[in-house]
Amino acid sequence: MTELSRILRLARNDFSYFFRTKWLMAILLSLHLSDMLVVALVYGRLMSFEYFKFFVPAVVIMGLFAAALDTGRRIWLAFREGVIHYYLSLPISIQGVVVAYLLAGGAAAVVYSTSLLLIALIVLPAHAILNTLILLPFLFILAMGLAGIAAALAALASTHGEYFFAYQQVVQLLLLTFSTVFYPMEYIEKYLPPFLTNLVAANPLSLAAEAMRQYTFAGHPVDPFFLLSILLTSIPLTVIGAVAYLGTLYMVQVKGKL
Amino acid sequence: MRLVWFDLKHELAPPVWILLEWFTFTIQLFIYGALISRLVTAPELPNYQQFYAVGFVVMMTFDVGSHTGRNFVEHAHEGRLPYLLSLPISRTKLFLSITLQGGVELALMLVVPLTLTLSLIGNLTVFSVTAAIASLFCLGFGVAGLMLGLSFIAFKSSDMYTAIVTGLSTVLIRFSTVLYPLIFLPPNYASVAMLSPLTYGSDLVRLILGFDARILLNPMYAVAVLVALAVSTLGLGMFLLQRLVEGVKSG
Repeated sequence: MTELSRILRLARNDFSYFFRTKWLMAILLSLHLSDMLVVALVYGRLMSFEYFKFFVPAVVIMGLFAAALDTGRRIWLAFREGVIHYYLSLPISIQGVVVAYLLAGGAAAVVYSTSLLLIALIVLPAHAILNTLILLPFLFILAMGLAGIAAALAALASTHGEYFFAYQQVVQLLLLTFSTVFYPMEYIEKYLPPFLTNLVAANPLSLAAEAMRQYTFAGHPVDPFFLLSILLTSIPLTVIGAVAYLGTLYMVQVKGKL
Repeated sequence: MRLVWFDLKHELAPPVWILLEWFTFTIQLFIYGALISRLVTAPELPNYQQFYAVGFVVMMTFDVGSHTGRNFVEHAHEGRLPYLLSLPISRTKLFLSITLQGGVELALMLVVPLTLTLSLIGNLTVFSVTAAIASLFCLGFGVAGLMLGLSFIAFKSSDMYTAIVTGLSTVLIRFSTVLYPLIFLPPNYASVAMLSPLTYGSDLVRLILGFDARILLNPMYAVAVLVALAVSTLGLGMFLLQRLVEGVKSG
């Protein structure tokens, strides 16, 4: 068996674990479907602005983010339960383990968010469904980047395991609140100072939500430079996560523990 | 008191989760709440940020109540509950210690968010502040009792308990007046919202704090529902705890 097939087997194992976790599916589906079908609809009645049209595409990206972030919980569990020692005993390199987890995290997030997208397409007419096919590979790279953040958090929390969920909550809160997922950029510019507005604009979640609104639902032609900006913000996150996780795995390999 | 302190000291050294809740509330109120408030144009809601602040405090109350129930389940599965049941204290005292711990946790979690909310709303009286706190505690105990009652499902499957509780929590929050007034909900959603205890809790607290009564539920119903919820679910929890037999495998 080649290294690539071992990586793919490990990735498949982690991918299926995500969808087999019943309580997680209950949380994610109830959260995102109620955001889409209740919060977006009712907020729309409070505003003169078409909030339903604005927020439903963003819920798909929120789903991608939440599912990708769960990679960190699975890595953290592998450290806590000792599964990582089993992985290190397998005929696969530590780089292979890192790649497998990032691939599984990215794939699980894309599959989960695609299911949300299908529901979004039922409730909100889309003008260019084909554009979604162009977006998908970029969303996959973004999901790997977000899984990278989660991996970095799990590596950071590897010696203080109980704080993993605290780190995760802080990152989730900051990335979502300081993005255009919930509110348009023109309102953010009026309220936040310029340096924070720039951070919001560069936030990969803002870029992905905007791409989903503009290209899939509004039907505007895809701008390759915009897609490039998603890549440019996602790839560094993937690299940082991979390096942090690799460093932790190396430490476990050398010392036998953290 | 020793039992209450035994559990609480783990949460207070260091108080990471409490600080995290305060931080979450601050960001949610001053970024999310403030920005959404600028988007809300309904004349019935001149200041959505204040409306949202009360809603978020109610959500936190709900979370702490759920946490008390979840703790009970985790303790049962980790073997701590059988140990507690074997101690020479009555079941009533054990139940009171679980309830008191939930109350102290709630007070600690809410001290900063509630202070920020009250100072944001302003123009308050001693009566309104006391009544709002009493309503929140009534809701918190009601939810904790509900989760304790539900936790008995967990003695068959903790996975099923977590799935039910998390799914139920999201639905209870979204289909309620925590985030928006009842008059803005579509009729079929509004009828579901009338079944959520959070609707009554959040509307009662808002009424006490001086929000426009025209967008809120009748306070008499709200008081009746909250008191009935707290008394019935806590009573059920106590009844079920009395029936647990120490040494019998529960999970």
